[in-house]
Amino acid sequence: MALKDSPVWPVWQEFKKLAHSLLYESKSACLLCETLVVDDRVFCRECESIYFYPELERCRGCGKIGASQGICKDCADGKGPAELSKVVAWGHYTGAWREFIQGVKFKAQPYLLKRISKPLGDFAIKHLPPPNFLVPVPMYPERLAQRGFNQAELIASLLHWELGIPLWDKLERIHFTTPQVGLGRKERLKNLESAFRINASLQSVKLIKGSKVWLVDDVLTTGATLEHCAKELKKVGVAEVYGLVLAAGMEKGN
Amino acid sequence: MLFYFYLANNGKLYLTPLKEKGQEEGQVLLPGLPLSYAQYVLQEVQTRKNGLSKLLSQRLFKPPLVGSEESKREELKREILKILRKTPELAKLNWQWQCGGQPLERGKDDCLSREEKQELALRQKPDCQGLREDFRQRIEGRLLAGADLKRLAGEWGLSFEEVIRCCQEVADQGEAEWLVAVKKEQGTWQCQRCGETQLEEWTSIYGAAATCPSCKALGALSSLNVIYRSLGTHSLKKQKEAVREKPAKTGIQESLSQKRQELPPQGSRELLFQGFQELFPQRDVELAPRWELSQAQKQAAQEVLAFVREDRAIPEGVLLWAACGAGKTEVCFPAIASALAQGKKVLFAAPRQDVVRDVAPRIQEDFQGLKSIVLTGSSPERFCQGPFVIATTHQILRFYQAFDLIFLDEMDAFPYHGNKALAWGLKQALKPRGKLVYLTATPSPESLAAVQEGRLKLIRLPARHHRKPLPVPEWRQVPQGFDPQHVGGKEKNQLSKDVFPLVAILAQSGPVLMFVPKISWVIPWVDLLQCHFPQWQIAGSYSSDPQRQEKIENLRRGKFRVFVSTSILERGVTIPNAQVLVLEADHEVFDERALVQMAGRVGRTKENPTGIVFYLSRNKTSSIKRAIAWIKEQNLLSKEQGLID
Repeated sequence: MALKDSPVWPVWQEFKKLAHSLLYESKSACLLCETLVVDDRVFCRECESIYFYPELERCRGCGKIGASQGICKDCADGKGPAELSKVVAWGHYTGAWREFIQGVKFKAQPYLLKRISKPLGDFAIKHLPPPNFLVPVPMYPERLAQRGFNQAELIASLLHWELGIPLWDKLERIHFTTPQVGLGRKERLKNLESAFRINASLQSVKLIKGSKVWLVDDVLTTGATLEHCAKELKKVGVAEVYGLVLAAGMEKGN
Repeated sequence: MLFYFYLANNGKLYLTPLKEKGQEEGQVLLPGLPLSYAQYVLQEVQTRKNGLSKLLSQRLFKPPLVGSEESKREELKREILKILRKTPELAKLNWQWQCGGQPLERGKDDCLSREEKQELALRQKPDCQGLREDFRQRIEGRLLAGADLKRLAGEWGLSFEEVIRCCQEVADQGEAEWLVAVKKEQGTWQCQRCGETQLEEWTSIYGAAATCPSCKALGALSSLNVIYRSLGTHSLKKQKEAVREKPAKTGIQESLSQKRQELPPQGSRELLFQGFQELFPQRDVELAPRWELSQAQKQAAQEVLAFVREDRAIPEGVLLWAACGAGKTEVCFPAIASALAQGKKVLFAAPRQDVVRDVAPRIQEDFQGLKSIVLTGSSPERFCQGPFVIATTHQILRFYQAFDLIFLDEMDAFPYHGNKALAWGLKQALKPRGKLVYLTATPSPESLAAVQEGRLKLIRLPARHHRKPLPVPEWRQVPQGFDPQHVGGKEKNQLSKDVFPLVAILAQSGPVLMFVPKISWVIPWVDLLQCHFPQWQIAGSYSSDPQRQEKIENLRRGKFRVFVSTSILERGVTIPNAQVLVLEADHEVFDERALVQMAGRVGRTKENPTGIVFYLSRNKTSSIKRAIAWIKEQNLLSKEQGLID
């Protein structure tokens, strides 16, 4: 029998790991590449700089990265979402970061999200005013039934544990919408009309009235989804809605 | 993919991936469930203590029946809803029973979505029967995940729904089945595609779920997914019928009989196929090779052929242990021809894409007219049907009881060696009484142990076709080591004394392949050599080198005097007249198999049947000793059998 197949092998591996952790600082691989990172860092310096641009401003209208003077061209032209007070995107939806998000959604790997909670929490609290509630963007029941999880809800619950902000999950998606992929800006906006509704008791509604919320989603393209959700939330009296997404596009020229 | 409870008005409860059940009217529960959870719900209903268990009689192999009275059906519907609404996560999904039946015909054309219109058009397609038959053939022997079915739909030009409908029809007839892709049994999750038991667990809205990390290169599978597995009874029936009606119908037989008229018979082939005719007296089967087997190959080929033709499935397989460059692939051809002539299905699997790409044209050339299917991660077409498949080992996981005969090339090479997933896949892909032939130049200790225990039969092919012995490596001690980082002053003098003269000697005979144990040594060693031999063309490469292909091509053409490389040139490569030098041969990456393979690069062709191999290191490790002993033993065996001059 090879050593690797013996019952002692896993125990030995664990022991080695333990001994290692006592003797050296802990190292793990960057979430997006193979590079080793030290201690509690999640991304290596290179990935951080090419996907997260901590130094660049976000468009306050749609969250896009790299908007000069805090607003992108579309939003300056009045094409951006109007119901949200501010939107921020954490990373650029490209390369390994995009693959990561798609891996979570389409390859049944929600457990991969665990590691991002701290850096995401740090980012969010730096860019947005503290809210009363976190509201995840809902998913259409059939898709949720199929996937078994709603990634926006998972991200919101990570932030809930990280920052101690309560969740409010009474927003529902009722219309089946064709996936947004491949649709133009106007089509996207139309596609989503009356796709969302609030399904909450009077008490829940009262709770959220006059409050500030973070509306949480995975990816933002035009902001149409956030806009429609915000509209519904405003209808029941939410005072301010802030958008937070893991990834969005970059403003041209960066 | 979702499954639906479909309660027909006649009281039958179906669990199906379609929202309707043929012509049977009834009600469907939306939005649908993963098969694993739906099975759980069904179980719950049946074990409830409120009398419903009596209502719902489980009939063997048939959908459970609740009885046709409406009250009973209503009770069942309520009961299922109750179970689903028990968990708050699921309660949110807005469960409801809706009228099923023929949902598409209901609406007006313009209310339908694009997909629905497409589907409607497809249903009206005239050639439905042909479609089904084609489908059956394409999925025969396969084990397919949802992503594969989507791909099949794309390749076939059908909607996904239509493919699922075909799947379900075949499943209804008992010729295929849906399986939960990742199952929990006795507390342990296991992937049903690759057998992995170390899974990533997570919490879904249905409770604990798990995803298999091992085979995700083939598309991720979780416990919420299904796989579709062909059971192959249909093909078996068809095969029997075909044999009864027309004996010779496969492409190979037609083409081979044509070939026979074109080619004059050769002695070697006649010898090989003696007894072949006796086995199939009415059939006209002949292989039309462009080569002639050497005496050594002939002997081995006879043995492989005998094993394949034997009725008993004991032992479980053979191990064809061939010397490097002895032509082991060709040795299998007569056995392949024999199996194909009997209407059997054959797979030739190799661990890496480049080996598949190298072998496929050779097979194609000798079996002209045979429709062989080449499957690698990058094949454009995947669902054609044919008796002979050439594939990378990974693709084995997409088959189920599909082959009567599997050849597994270079079984000790990455990624098969020690990979449990592929060992599991191999067992899955083989038919119950199927046979396995492992090909290797350097058997692993495990496979040799299997030979000892009688689980594998050993066939030897110890000599090359040119009848010259294998070059025996020579070990030289070099005390200071070879790390280019530490080379300077005294060490450099030592190198000039120990290594460079050897390089000079070898280079007189032909291009020198210099193997180093680490990628980081390649470029420094190229520089060191270039300093010492400024007039020579010298280069080096490693796995992630972007110019790798180009450099190796130039090496083949004889453009370099010295070529430094890692193990990438260890196997499967023939460089005319190559000479070999292994630096730091006592490094742990160089086990005896790697050392034998590297030595095997020398003396491969008729034009240059000899050459020199040096292993250089501080210590003579047991791997070095064993490698040299293996090669000597092969030469001895060849001599005894009169296979070398």
